[in-house]
Amino acid sequence: MLHACVYATILLGFFGIIFKENLVMKIIAMDVMSTGVIALFVLVAARTGVRTPIVAGLVEEGYADPVPQAVILTAIVIGFSIQALMLVGVMKLARDNPTLETSAIEEEYRR
Amino acid sequence: MTEFTILWIALPLFIGFSIPLLPSAARLLTLGIPLFSVAYATALFSRPAPLDLRLLDSFGVALWADQLSAWFILTNALVTAAVLIYSWDGPKTKFFYTQLLVLHGSVNATFICADLISLYVALEVVGMTTFLLIAYPRTDRTLWVALRYLFISNVAMLFYLVGAVLVYRTHQSFAFEGLRGAPAEAPALILMALLTKGGIFVSGLWLPATNTAAESQISAMMSGAVEKAGVFPLLRFALVLEEFEPIVQAFGVATAVLGVTYALAATDAKRVLACSTLSQLGWLLVAPAVAGFYALAHGLAKAALFLTVGQLPQRDLATLRQQPMPTALWLPLTLGGLSISGAPLLAGFGAKTLTLEALGPWQGMAMNGAAVGTAAVYAKLISLPHRGGAQTSSWPQVPLGLGLALGLLLGGAIAANVAYLDAYSGAKLIKALVLIGAGWLVYALLRRPAALELPAGPEAFEHLLGGMGVMLIVLFWMVWSWSIT
Repeated sequence: MLHACVYATILLGFFGIIFKENLVMKIIAMDVMSTGVIALFVLVAARTGVRTPIVAGLVEEGYADPVPQAVILTAIVIGFSIQALMLVGVMKLARDNPTLETSAIEEEYRR
Repeated sequence: MTEFTILWIALPLFIGFSIPLLPSAARLLTLGIPLFSVAYATALFSRPAPLDLRLLDSFGVALWADQLSAWFILTNALVTAAVLIYSWDGPKTKFFYTQLLVLHGSVNATFICADLISLYVALEVVGMTTFLLIAYPRTDRTLWVALRYLFISNVAMLFYLVGAVLVYRTHQSFAFEGLRGAPAEAPALILMALLTKGGIFVSGLWLPATNTAAESQISAMMSGAVEKAGVFPLLRFALVLEEFEPIVQAFGVATAVLGVTYALAATDAKRVLACSTLSQLGWLLVAPAVAGFYALAHGLAKAALFLTVGQLPQRDLATLRQQPMPTALWLPLTLGGLSISGAPLLAGFGAKTLTLEALGPWQGMAMNGAAVGTAAVYAKLISLPHRGGAQTSSWPQVPLGLGLALGLLLGGAIAANVAYLDAYSGAKLIKALVLIGAGWLVYALLRRPAALELPAGPEAFEHLLGGMGVMLIVLFWMVWSWSIT
């Protein structure tokens, strides 16, 4: 069930990227998609249990797998910086293309 | 060698971010890094066994460097050095040099990493720095093209992450070998992302527009090194996991043919080069075992071509046919074009012969066709009129930096011949000349009727994104039916 929701989030984000006209909406859709991917990593990490893996605790079983969590932390940082870069680019672009409609921009700058 | 490797990986980033502190030494510091990379590539060439490194413990970073990596590292180093020499006297700020170094370092990293997550990080850094370099002139047009590039590459990398976590779920490891035995959707997702990043087949159709709009030195850097960062992992997969080799080869053939078709239809000199890059990346994939030499030959020639074309005041081929260009510009154009067409005495000849020898019968046929097409594409540039002697006033003087950069690249293309001297036998020479002759004949015949028009649709932003979904399904089917039996 959770898996289905996560994959649905990823797909909805992807469709949003394709079908939304406005560039800012596309970026938000991309964020939705990356949220889905992050959730998938967390879900895979929780496969072995949900307890936080800290050495001090004395409980023997049910730890979450720390590796996917560590990896997705890197990916979150990368995704966030890419989004920041994109939004700066969009801000600059908005000066001459206030509607930010992709098809119009594409038409204008083709060739 | 371990310390050398770590130093070599870390140094470009360290120097890159130190440049803002030492702006006056920016160019000299930057020049040191490609030289260091050349030294590292030489060290790798002289090692008999590949270098296998595992940093930290079992969940740490895995590195794997062999001769194939050495070829790609050498290509990256020479192209970066040429781009740097070209912009030496230009108005570039220290920011440009920082980005160039970070890009050089991250492209190098993709050539030696051996686990999915290091590869992910390296590719994302490549994407971001390329974005910054394309957007550097800050005109609306470059900004849009750069945004488009970053968008497509980031969406592809999100799919890649999904693939990576599926591999992890199966094997509790991110090593490349984990693609074997993972459910079919994992390799499909990862391959699709790499096809998009590397600019292969329809997923690579972002490439012509991006390379055309970017500044010429950035296009040189992209064609020469950056796109190879996406292609290299595909080669690695094909070599490590032989069940993926047919898939990679099939995409290679399809890309070579598609790129040549686009290049034949193009009327803008830079676009011709960009579309030809698309086709040449396919050449890399058809014969993974010998791709290293091909990458070097292509990188050197294509970077030289992009730098030369950047010097032309206009790039429309019809206009260029009317006004002769100085011979000083025509000569590198011809040498580069001949090298990529596979003419003897240049590196492209050995590379192309080596690749064609490594192919099976049906791929051989398609690739010979693509070779004829490539020769026809470059006949377009070589046949442009030129005038020697005194400079005509309408043309700017050829700057010294360009001359030095071209000397490095084309000198490298001639020197690289020594890598495969066996190619100089009668039958192979005749074959190469026949292929080029056939290409020029095709060009002579095609020139008369109006050039073929290709629909611009597949290159539109939304279609590129939608194409990812389609490619995902195609790849899923390919992985499912070809490799898991």
